[in-house]
Amino acid sequence: MAPPATAVADRLASPDRPRDSRANIDIMAPTKGVQWPYFLALGAAVLGVLQAFIVLLYQTYVGLGVAGYQQPVFWGVYIVTFVFWIGIGHAGTLISAILFLFRAKWRNAVNRGAEALTVFAVITAALFPILHLGRIWKLYFLIPYPNQRELWVNFKSPLLWDVFAISTYASISIVFFYIGLIPDIAIARDRATGVKKVLYTILALGWQGTGPQWKAHSRSVLHLSGLATPLVLSVHSVVSWDFAMSIVPGWHATIFAPYFVAGAVFGGFAMVVNILIPVRRIFRLERYLTDYHFENMSRFILFTSTICGYAYAAEYFIAWYSGVEFEQSSFWLRAFGPYWISTWCMITFNVIFPQLLWIKKLRTNLPFLMGLCFFINLGMWFERYVIIITSLSREYISGSWGLYVISPVELSVLAGSFCWFSMWFLLFLKVFPVIAITEVKELEIHARDHGGAH
Amino acid sequence: MPEFDRRDFLKLVGVGAGAAATACSDPIEKLVPYVEQPEAITPGIAVWYASTCAECPAACGLHVKTREGRPIKLEGNPDHPINRGKLCARGQASLGRTYLPDRYSEPRVKGAGGELEASTWEEATAEVAARLNAARGRTWILGESGGPTLDGVIDTFAAAADAKRVVYEPFAHEALRKGTEAVFGVASLPLFDPGKADLIIDLGSDFLSSGLSPTENARQYSDGRDVKTHKSGGTRMISFGARLNLTTTASDQWIPAKAGSEGAIAFALAQAVLQAKGAPEGADAGAVSRFLSGSSIASAASSAGIDTADLAAVADALVHAKNPLVLPPGVAYTGSSATSTVAAVMLANAMLGAVGNSLTVPPASAAPAPANLAELKALVQAMKAGEVEALLIHDSNPVYSLAGDLGFVDALQSVGTVVSFASLRDETAQAADFVLPDHSSMESWGDRAPRPGVRSLIQPTVRPLLDTRSLGDTLLELGRALGGEMPEGSFRNVLEQNWADVNWRDALGRGGVFTDVAIEPVAVTGDFQGLGYKPARFAGNGDFTLVAFPHHFLGDGRGAALPWLQEIPEPVTKLQWNSWVEMSFATADKLGVGFGDVVEVTTAAGTLESSVLPRGGIRDDTIAIPIGQGHSEGLYASMEGEGDHGGWIHGPMGAEGQPGVPRGANVMAALPASEDEAGGRVWLGSQAAVQKTGRFRRLALSQWTDNQRERGLAKTASLAQLAGHGDDHHGGHGHHDEPPHTFTAAYDADPDQPYRWGMVIDNDRCNGCSACVAACSIENNIPMVGETQAIQRRDMAWIRIEKYVGEGDLKGGAARRPVPNREKLGELDIRYIPMPCQQCGAAPCEAVCPTLATYHNKEGLNGMVYNRCAGTRYCANNCVYKVRRFNYFDYGNENFPGLLGLMLNPDVTVRQQGVMEKCSFCVQRIEGARQPAKDEGRDIRDGEVMTACQQACPTNAISFGNLRDAGSEVVAAADEPNRSYHLLQELNTRPAITYLAQVTRDENEGKH
Repeated sequence: MAPPATAVADRLASPDRPRDSRANIDIMAPTKGVQWPYFLALGAAVLGVLQAFIVLLYQTYVGLGVAGYQQPVFWGVYIVTFVFWIGIGHAGTLISAILFLFRAKWRNAVNRGAEALTVFAVITAALFPILHLGRIWKLYFLIPYPNQRELWVNFKSPLLWDVFAISTYASISIVFFYIGLIPDIAIARDRATGVKKVLYTILALGWQGTGPQWKAHSRSVLHLSGLATPLVLSVHSVVSWDFAMSIVPGWHATIFAPYFVAGAVFGGFAMVVNILIPVRRIFRLERYLTDYHFENMSRFILFTSTICGYAYAAEYFIAWYSGVEFEQSSFWLRAFGPYWISTWCMITFNVIFPQLLWIKKLRTNLPFLMGLCFFINLGMWFERYVIIITSLSREYISGSWGLYVISPVELSVLAGSFCWFSMWFLLFLKVFPVIAITEVKELEIHARDHGGAH
Repeated sequence: MPEFDRRDFLKLVGVGAGAAATACSDPIEKLVPYVEQPEAITPGIAVWYASTCAECPAACGLHVKTREGRPIKLEGNPDHPINRGKLCARGQASLGRTYLPDRYSEPRVKGAGGELEASTWEEATAEVAARLNAARGRTWILGESGGPTLDGVIDTFAAAADAKRVVYEPFAHEALRKGTEAVFGVASLPLFDPGKADLIIDLGSDFLSSGLSPTENARQYSDGRDVKTHKSGGTRMISFGARLNLTTTASDQWIPAKAGSEGAIAFALAQAVLQAKGAPEGADAGAVSRFLSGSSIASAASSAGIDTADLAAVADALVHAKNPLVLPPGVAYTGSSATSTVAAVMLANAMLGAVGNSLTVPPASAAPAPANLAELKALVQAMKAGEVEALLIHDSNPVYSLAGDLGFVDALQSVGTVVSFASLRDETAQAADFVLPDHSSMESWGDRAPRPGVRSLIQPTVRPLLDTRSLGDTLLELGRALGGEMPEGSFRNVLEQNWADVNWRDALGRGGVFTDVAIEPVAVTGDFQGLGYKPARFAGNGDFTLVAFPHHFLGDGRGAALPWLQEIPEPVTKLQWNSWVEMSFATADKLGVGFGDVVEVTTAAGTLESSVLPRGGIRDDTIAIPIGQGHSEGLYASMEGEGDHGGWIHGPMGAEGQPGVPRGANVMAALPASEDEAGGRVWLGSQAAVQKTGRFRRLALSQWTDNQRERGLAKTASLAQLAGHGDDHHGGHGHHDEPPHTFTAAYDADPDQPYRWGMVIDNDRCNGCSACVAACSIENNIPMVGETQAIQRRDMAWIRIEKYVGEGDLKGGAARRPVPNREKLGELDIRYIPMPCQQCGAAPCEAVCPTLATYHNKEGLNGMVYNRCAGTRYCANNCVYKVRRFNYFDYGNENFPGLLGLMLNPDVTVRQQGVMEKCSFCVQRIEGARQPAKDEGRDIRDGEVMTACQQACPTNAISFGNLRDAGSEVVAAADEPNRSYHLLQELNTRPAITYLAQVTRDENEGKH
C-alpha cells in the first residue's frame, strides 16, 4: 500500500500558505453563511419528516392496520428499515474506533462524517422498533423499571437485548462523537460571534488546547474506541439474534451474527461514500477527502461484499444440506417464490455489482462509486426485506402461508426516515466541521516532523 | 386557632383528590349496581334457559346462556333428541339477530317521499287494520311456518281478515315431499339416520351442510364411522355430484357425475335393486317395474359422463350391502324431474330394507306444507291481476329470494298495501308500506314440532330491546281490530293454552316435551301418476351447467345478515364474505381467467357478475355459484358495512361501502322459475354462458393453499395401520421418523399442580362444519373484521379449520395469486384439521415476548395478559402453528356497533387496538369451574370444564380435560397409539393437543 499519510500531509503542508489556518478556513467554510440550495434541501427534509410524523399520528390513532401487514407476516417494512439503519451506523463506529485502534491514519479525514452518520443512523433506526409497536404508548413496558406490581421484563427475549444493545450503542456513539468534536468546537468558538459564540462556548467545555487537556482528550478517545470496538460486533449480532433466536425457517441460523455484522459494515461504508462524495464536491473538500480515501473504502466494500456473498451461499448450502424441508422450501421460495425480485436485486446489487471494484480505475471513479453505493444501499435494504418478509410468509403451516404488500403509510414513513436522517446531517454540516480539523492537522504535523519517512 | 381536626383534613384531601381526578381524566362512566336486585339474577352468575333454535326448520334445542339479563351464548340442549347438546354455526350465530344494529327499532310507515318513517304501534296498527278491513277477500299472507301455535294464530287471523295464506320457504323440499308421497302415500319429509347404514349412496344431498337436520345427521354419521366401536371403519359413503361439497369431502368415494344425471343414476340403481331384491312387499310389481324403466346403468353412466364399470360397481355394492341407504339429491341438484328421482330413490330404499331402519317416514305433519312454485306463480298472477289488495309478509324475504323471472318484485308494485313483519332490515321490508317489526327469537314465545315425539318451546330470554312486538301479538291485535274471533289474551296465553296438556313449568325447564314415539312403519303404495324417468331439461343455451348450491352458512340467504356467518370461511372453498363462480382449472384456462377475475354469467333468466374461483373439485362442464349473497339491504348482508378502515390505504373502494350496493351476486335472480313434474321449484335447470369482463375483484380467501407439502400436518391412517399391521404409522412421507424427544404433555405444568389442561382432536370425526369456529368467536368476543380486512387476511379467529388435500408435494407456493388447487375430479383425500392454540409445553411464543405478556401458567397454559402486551408481534412470528391474531384496528370497540356490544361475554376481556390475542383453552370456563370446586374443597371434576369448541362440535371430535387425571376422558381419547400425533412434533414444542389421524377406509390399502 502506498504511504498515504505523507501524500495527504504534503498537500496540506504546501509552503505558500499558512498551514493551520488553511485547514481551519477550508473545513469551517461550509458552516459559514446560508445558501438557498441548502435551505431548499433542509426545507425538503423537514417537510418529509413532517409528513411522516402526520402519517404516524394517523397510524397511532387508527391502528397498525394501515400498514401492509397480512397474516402471517407480522413484521414488515418498519423492521426492515430498522435493521437497515442500524447497519448503516456501523461503518461510522468501525472507522472511528477500530481503524483508530489499528492506527489507520487515513481514517482521520473521513471519521467525523462517519461518526455523524452513525449517530444519526442510530437515532433514525431507534424510531422504528417504537413506531412498529401496536401500542406505542406502552413503550415503557419494554424497559425494566422498578414498580409496585413487581412487573419485570423478559430477559430471555432478544427484543429486550435489542433495547439494551441499541441504547448502549446510541449513548457510546453520541459521547464518542461529542468528545471528538470538542477541539473543533473550540476552533468554531474562536471564530464565532453573537449567539453562536455562546453556544459554541458552552459546547466547547472550556477547551483551550493545553497539554493536559490534549492528554485527557486523547486518552478518552482511546478508551472510548476500546469501548466502541466490541459494539461494532455486538450491536448487529444482537439485532441478528432477533431473527436467529427464533424458530422461523430462514431466520434460525447460526451464521446470522457474522453475516449481519459484515453486511452492516458493507452497507455502512456504502452510505459513507454516498454521503461524502457530494459533500466533497459541494464544499470543495477535495484536498482533504482524496481519491486515496475512496480507494480504501472501496476495498473495504469489496471485502465485505464478498463476505456477504459467502454468507448468502452458505445459507443456501446449509438449507439444502440440512435436509429439512421447511428450510429448503423457505430458501427455494426466496429465490423463486413471490419475492424473487427482491432476492435477485439483493444478490445482484450486493454481490455481483461490487465485484467491479477489482478494477483499480473504478475504485477511484467517483461517479461510478456514487452509483454503485446507491445500488448497494438498495441491495442491503432488500437483503433485510428478503430475510424478514419471505421467511415469515412461508413458514411451517403451509395453509397459513400468505403475502405482505407494502402500504402507502409505510412508504411514507420509509421516505420520512431518509428525510429525518438528512435533516440531522444537513444541520450537522452547518454547525460542525465535517472533517476533524485537529486530526487533519495532526496528520500535517506528523508529515512535517517525519517528512514522509514514516 | 380554629379547630382543624383529622376529619376536616381528610374531607379536604378527599375533595382535592376528587377534583384532581375528575379534572383531567376520561369521561366518567358509572357502574350502577341493582337498587333492587332481580330475584333470578346474581351479577357474575350465568342463568340458563332452554329454548329452540329458529334459524332453520330442523328445530334444534337450545340452552341460552344469559348474564345480567341478556343472552350471550347459545349452546345445544343436551336433553333435546335432535341435536343432543350440539349446535351448528348457523344456530350459534343466530343469537346475533337480537343485537344487530340494522334491526327496526320501531314500527315504520311509508311516508309521502316513499321512505319508511318511524311511527307508533297505535298509529301503525290502526292504519294497517283499516286497510285490511278494506281489503277483505283480497288479502294474502306470505311467510314461513312459525310453529304450531303461531301457525294457528296466523290461520285464525287469516279467517278474521278473510285472507289466503301461502306458506313460503325458499328451500321447501317440494320434490322430497311429493316423491315420498308418491311411494309411501305420506306427504312428509323422511328422517334419515346415516349412522345406521353400512353403505350410503349420496346423490348430492349434502346432508351435512344444507340437509334437513345437519347437526343431528353429522353426529349420526360420525358415530356410525367411529373406529373405536367399529373396527371395520363403520359406515361407508359413495357420493355423486358435479362438485365437491361438504358431504362429498366426508365420503369414501366421489363419482363426479354430471349435474342433471341424478335422475338417470337413481333410476338405474333402483332398477338394479329391483332386479336383485324384487319389488317391495305389497307393491304392484308391474307398476314399480314400469315406473323404473327408461334408464339403465349404461345409459345413466353415459349421461352422467362417468365410467359404466364404476356405476355398475356402485350398484353391485348397493345390492350386496347389509344395510344400505340411498339419499336423494338435495337443493343444489333439484332438477326438472326431481320428484320422480326422489320416488325412485325411495323405492330403492324400500326394496333395500332401509325404510324403518335408517330411513323413517313420519306421518304427515299438521303444519301447513310450504307452497310449491306452482302455487307461488298463482300468487304472482293474482298480484299482477290486481287481485291482491294487501300482502302481509312475515319470516321471509321474497323480494330477495323470488327475484328473477318469476316477476314477484314487479308484481309487488300492483299490491295496494304491503305489510312486513321483519325484525331486521331486508329487501322486502324496505319495499313494504308498513313495517311492524317482530321480536327476535330471543325475545319471543313460540314452539316447534319438527317431528313426532318432539315438541319444543321457544321462550324469551331478554326483555325486548327495541320497540317491537311479537308477530303473534300483532296478529292477535289486528285480528281483534278486524272483528275476528281471536283467542283471549296475549300470544303467550295462547301458547300456554296449547301446552295445557303438559306441565308447563317442566316443559319450559327442559325446553319442551320429548317422548319416544315409535313411528308407524309405512308400506309402498306406489302412485306414480305423472312420474317416470325423463332426462333432465335445461333452459338456456350456454356451455355450462349452472349449479346453484346453498351456502353452508348463509342457507337461503338469511344467514347473510350475520357477520359470523359471512366471515367464517366456507368449509370447502375457504372463501369469506362474498359470492364466487366455481369452475374447473381447465375451464378457467379456456376462458383466460384466474382467481378473482370477474366473469359475467348469463342464463335464460338473467345475468350476474362475480369473481372466479378455479378449483379442481368441479367438472369442466359445470359452474357453481353459492346461494345466499347479493343482498342490497342490511349492514352486513350488503356492502354497507365495508370501507370503515382507511379506504385510501386499500385503494379506491368504488361503489363499495355504501348502502344499497349488493355484496356479491344473488344467483336466485338468475335462475329461471321452472317447475318439476309435481310443481316444485327447479334449482338445477339452467345452462349458463360465461364471459370474461377483464375486471378483477379479489376474494377473501382464508387459506391460500391446500398443499401440506409432505409435512404431515393432517395425517391419515389406514384401517390396516389401526389394526396394528401397518409399517407406516401415519401415512406421512418424510415425517414418520422417531420424534426427537418423546414427552408426556402432562409434565408441562408445575409439578405441584393437579392440572395440566389438554385436548384431543379427532380429525376422523371432524367434517369441517365450523360450528366450533362460531362457538369460539361468540364465547371469546372475537370481532368479525369485514371483507376489506379479510382480504388482507386479518381475520381474528382463534380456531380455524384447515383443509388439505392428500399428502401434498413440494410444488407451488410461488404464485402471487394463490388458489387451492390440489383437488382432483373423482379423487377424495380431503383432510380437515381444526387449529386452535396448541398450548405448547415449550412454547416458542413465550420466550420471545419482551414484556412477558404471554407466559406459561402453572397449569401448563400459555397465558396472554392483554394489558401487558405492547404489540411487538414477535410471538406471532415465532408461533409455528400461526394461531396468534393481532388487533390491527380497534376492532374491540368498532366492530361491535350498536347493540352488538350487549352480546359480549363479560367473562372475557375485549381486546384493545394493538394487542395480540389467541385461544386460551376457554380459561374463563376453567376459572368458572374452579370456584365451585374450591368451595366444595375438591378438584375440578372431569367434564366440568368444556371449551366452547368442544361443547359445540356436532360430531364430538374434540375432547378436553386434565391430562394429569388418568381417568379423564381426554386421556382415554388420546389413547390411540396407532393414530395419535402431535403437530410438528419434530420442533419439540410439546403441544397439549393430540390429534388423531383421519382414517382412510380403503379395504385394499395396506394389502399391497
